[in-house]
Amino acid sequence: METHKALPTYQAKDFKSDLKPIWCPGCGDFGVVQAIYRALASIGRAPHEIAFVSGIGCSSRIPGYTTAYGFNSVHGRALPIAQGIKLARPELLVLVAGGDGDGFSIGGGHVPHAIRRNTDLTYIVMDNQIYGLTKGQLSPTSPKGLKTVTSEYGSFEEPVNPLLYVLAYGANFVAQGTPADMSGLADVIERAIRYPGFSFVNVQSPCVTFGMEEQQAKAHKAMMKPLTSLGHDPKNRLAAMDLAQKYGRELHTGVFYENPDPPRTFDGLIRERQGQLETRAVPRERIFDQFLQK
Amino acid sequence: MAKTVSIDFKNLNLKDALDLAELIEEEARERYGEFADQMDIHRNPEAARFFRFMLGVEQKHEDRLGAQRKMLFGDAPREVRREMVFDIEAPEYDEVRAKMSVRQALEVSLRAEEKAFAFFDGVLGEIKDPTVHELFSELREEEAEHQQLVKQQLAKLPPDVKSPMDDADDEDDGPVAL
Repeated sequence: METHKALPTYQAKDFKSDLKPIWCPGCGDFGVVQAIYRALASIGRAPHEIAFVSGIGCSSRIPGYTTAYGFNSVHGRALPIAQGIKLARPELLVLVAGGDGDGFSIGGGHVPHAIRRNTDLTYIVMDNQIYGLTKGQLSPTSPKGLKTVTSEYGSFEEPVNPLLYVLAYGANFVAQGTPADMSGLADVIERAIRYPGFSFVNVQSPCVTFGMEEQQAKAHKAMMKPLTSLGHDPKNRLAAMDLAQKYGRELHTGVFYENPDPPRTFDGLIRERQGQLETRAVPRERIFDQFLQK
Repeated sequence: MAKTVSIDFKNLNLKDALDLAELIEEEARERYGEFADQMDIHRNPEAARFFRFMLGVEQKHEDRLGAQRKMLFGDAPREVRREMVFDIEAPEYDEVRAKMSVRQALEVSLRAEEKAFAFFDGVLGEIKDPTVHELFSELREEEAEHQQLVKQQLAKLPPDVKSPMDDADDEDDGPVAL
C-alpha cells in the first residue's frame, strides 16, 4: 500500500520567538521582522534548518526574535561568520541581518568579498540612515547636510548608496523594500531567499526616534514607487544601476536586478572540490607512511 | 498598508470568508498584544492597559467567528492562510510611540476600525456568494459600530495638554526588560 506522508507546513508564527522586541514603538524593524516571518513561512524550511546571523545594532537583534538558530555576532562581521556557517553546514538556509552602519561602515570591507564569492545566503540590511542604537550619530547612508549629534552643522559627506554599491560589485540579486509595504517586503525577501547565491535586500526601515521626517513610514507610503509599475526589467543590470542612482531621492521598491543565469555558488564549488579530493584521499592509517616516504 | 494576497473575492465561499474574518481578528488581537508589550517595556502603563483592553475585544470577535465557523463547517481544513492577510484591522506598527497618551492610543484604534470598515466596504462589490456578502456586510456594520464606541470614549477623555509624541526633547529612559 502506498502511503503519503504530509509535508510539514509552517506558519509565520512558527518563526516568532517568545522574546519581546525592545525596539522603540513605531520602529520600522517591527514590520521587517513580520515580513521575514511571512517569507520564511512561504519558503517552508523548518526553523532548525535556518541560521540567522547579525552584527550589532538595533536591527541586529532580529535573530533573537526568530525561532531559527541565531548568532548576534560582532559589529560588521556578520557576513564572514555567515559564510563560514554556510561552508561548514551547506544544508542550512543562511540569513544575515544588520543595519546600514554595520554593513556599509564597520563591515563595509566584507560586502564586496561576500558578493564576489557568491556564497548562497541572503543579506537583509535595515537602512535607516542613522546610528539609532547609540542615539543618533551620522551613519554611512545619512544624507549630505544632515544635522546629528556628530554633525552639528550638517554633514559634508556624500552618503553611500547601498544599491549601487552591491550592483557595482556584481551582486546577482538586488532588491529594496520598506515595512510601509509589508506584503511587498515579504515578497522580495522570499525571492531573495529562493535565489541561489548571494542575494541582497535593502530595507528602508524608519528610525522613529532619530530618523528624518521624510524617512518615516507615512512618507514611504506617499513616495513609494514599485519597480513593476515602472515596467522595469530586473534582468537588465544597467537599467537597475540607472534606477539605483535615484537612491535617497526616490523610493523604488521591488527587485532591481536578478541575474537570470545564476553563476555557481562558492559553497557549491567547495563541495565539488571536496568531492574530487575525497576520491584521491589517502586512508588515514597510511598518512604517516606516506609522510615517511617523502 | 492594508492588503490581502492570493484571495479571489469573486469566488470566496462562506467557509473561507469566515476563516479570513477570523484571521483578520487574530492579526488585530496579536498586534494589540504587541503594542501592550511595547508600552510596558517603555514604561507607559496607561497606553498598555488600553491596548490590552483592545486585545480582549478582538479576542471576543475572533472567538465568535471561530465558533460560527466550527458550527457550520466543523474541522474542514483551512484554505486561507495568515500570510495572506496584511494589516486589515491590525493597527500599523508605525502608529505607536513610546510616550503616547491614552487619547492617542484610542485614535490609533479608531484608525484601525476605519481601515477595517474600508476593507469590507471595498471588497463587498466583488463578492458573488450571497452568504459571504451577508457576512461581510454584517462585519462592515460592526466596524462602523466600533468606530462610534471609540469616538464616544474619545469624547469622554480630556484633551491632551501637549502632545507627548511631538516632544522631541524628552529623554527616553530606554526600554525595561520584561
